[in-house]
Amino acid sequence: MQCAESLRVQAYFDDEVDSVTATGIEQHMEHCAECRALLQDLGELRAAMQQELPRVHAPAALRARLSRALDQETTARSSKRFTWPRLRMPLQPFWAGTFSGGVATAAVAILAFVIWAPRLSNPLVDDLVGAHLRSLMADHLIDVVSTDKHTVKPWFAGHTDVSPVVADFEPQGYRLVGGRADYLDHQRAAVVVYQHGPHVINVFSWADSQRGLPANATRNGYHLIFWKSGDLEYCAVSDTAPDELLGLVRLLQGL
Amino acid sequence: MDDRRRRFDAQVMPHLDAAYRFARWLARSPDDADDLVQEAILRAFRGFDALRGSDVKAWLLTILRNCHLTALKQEQRRGLVPLPEEHDAQDGRVLIASTPDPESASIQRDEQRTLERLISGLPDDHREVLILREIEDMDYREIAAVTNVPLGTVMSRLARARSALKKQWLRHNDGVPRAVR
Repeated sequence: MQCAESLRVQAYFDDEVDSVTATGIEQHMEHCAECRALLQDLGELRAAMQQELPRVHAPAALRARLSRALDQETTARSSKRFTWPRLRMPLQPFWAGTFSGGVATAAVAILAFVIWAPRLSNPLVDDLVGAHLRSLMADHLIDVVSTDKHTVKPWFAGHTDVSPVVADFEPQGYRLVGGRADYLDHQRAAVVVYQHGPHVINVFSWADSQRGLPANATRNGYHLIFWKSGDLEYCAVSDTAPDELLGLVRLLQGL
Repeated sequence: MDDRRRRFDAQVMPHLDAAYRFARWLARSPDDADDLVQEAILRAFRGFDALRGSDVKAWLLTILRNCHLTALKQEQRRGLVPLPEEHDAQDGRVLIASTPDPESASIQRDEQRTLERLISGLPDDHREVLILREIEDMDYREIAAVTNVPLGTVMSRLARARSALKKQWLRHNDGVPRAVR
């Protein structure tokens, strides 16, 4: 039979109690031999673990390998970062010369290019497909594993900038498997992960960027469906059939 | 090297040893531990902007543990996970450091092996709280964050882990309470 105070003695040993509680526990131990013995055991065990177990360090080879991997990752990130097409208009002649019709037309054309070019190859679409592919590769699919929305949703509060809709649609064939934080469009996006048959569906969500959403797209065989709800923007990405993907989107929109 | 990478190297990489130690207790072999650490570091790097607050070590170990659990789940799905008795301390979880003097080294190695074997034999959820407390010197709140359980669970698991280990340690020493140097 263990003394009811044993957990408090352990907390005292681990330096987890305030001084008032500590005094109370010390007084208790004065007339409880069992707790005194426990305290001694705890001390011996700690000493044994700290003395007998070798302090291992990350091997140099691993450090080198990590450094290389991080270099690659850094390069990948910076090449993916979106930059606006630069206006290469000779400014001096433009201001110096008369505002001819030809220059005006060129200016309009360049303006149109600046506005429309990013839409043609939207970096967000590339980022989303990239994030989806990464999630499927080496086990980064899920940070919080749960089929319970009450576990997944609060987890986002501490790990992402947004709080998206989370629900399990197992009866409809879209099983909630967990959530993940992903870096997207310069913010911490929340990703809700669903399993649909053999397919993984990532539902990304981020704060409304005020820039308008790209059109639904198919890239490298992955379908992307965008929508907006409240002040959040969503994108569902998967290699499942577009209709199936749309099914989940409808369910989420219906919440 | 960009600024983000520099900040990552300054804030996160100092905890690499802790991550590696924890990985050695979680993974079944040193190779698996290397892979696990690499996975966790890359993932930490990608999610680095999500890091708030100063508890970088707990954050990194949480990621590491999640990577481990995800990998484990995938292995289980593929039926690759050996039965528990197949992976005892013999196959790689032994963390022997080299010591110069062969004789004392061999004695010390025996003790190390024994304690490591006993710790390895603890249930996973008990072992991890014990390691985080005694080796990584984390407080209850940090351990609760890393292992994703309430504080009370940390306390009871820690108590059970310690009591089980103490009993086995005594049994190993023929029931004679052994004063530790």
